[in-house]
Amino acid sequence: MAAKILPVVKLATKVTIAGGALYVAYGSGLLGSSEQGSVALGKAKAAIPPAVQEWMKYFGLEAQLPTIPTVEFSPVQTWNSGVRKTISTLSEAPANAVGYTNQGFQYMKDLTKKEETPNIEGNSSAIRSGD
Amino acid sequence: MSEKELGKKWDRCLADGAIKLGTGLGLGIVFSVLFFKRHTWPISFGSGTGLGMAYGNCQNDLRSFYMLHSSEKEQ
Repeated sequence: MAAKILPVVKLATKVTIAGGALYVAYGSGLLGSSEQGSVALGKAKAAIPPAVQEWMKYFGLEAQLPTIPTVEFSPVQTWNSGVRKTISTLSEAPANAVGYTNQGFQYMKDLTKKEETPNIEGNSSAIRSGD
Repeated sequence: MSEKELGKKWDRCLADGAIKLGTGLGLGIVFSVLFFKRHTWPISFGSGTGLGMAYGNCQNDLRSFYMLHSSEKEQ
């Protein structure tokens, strides 16, 4: 008799636990709209640190966890500034290219002038010395 | 839709996604342990279902600005 009832009891217990989990999840708005989800996340964030502290006190681990250092890093600001810099670089690229090209031409001109002038100076000194 | 409103919608989407993923994972673990002999597929199924629900909510939320409600249509 007991052997026949036991599997039924086991199944009923399992169904009760699973049904209870589903009911709690639905009742606390975890399976609802996005507003309910964000509200539930806010509540969870607010509830976790005191719960962790209580559990630590219960287990006798009263040593405080090291506080997470607050890093002032905003991914949104970083992304936006990256986009702005990229677009400004792209918009200035043609003007910069022309400028660098002109600088390069000027540098080459100066180089060729420097190569020419030592020859002229060498010839003029040779003429003066009478060679 | 203003940029601020869009940002808030995306924040809600991400928060909702995290919540639903966690809930799906948790329910998947419960069902896996209780009914499916600790197989992995109920966990994957639960996580996927949670993500899918979050995706649907996010889609509706982002589209809601452009939808014409029946009350406005009658006017």
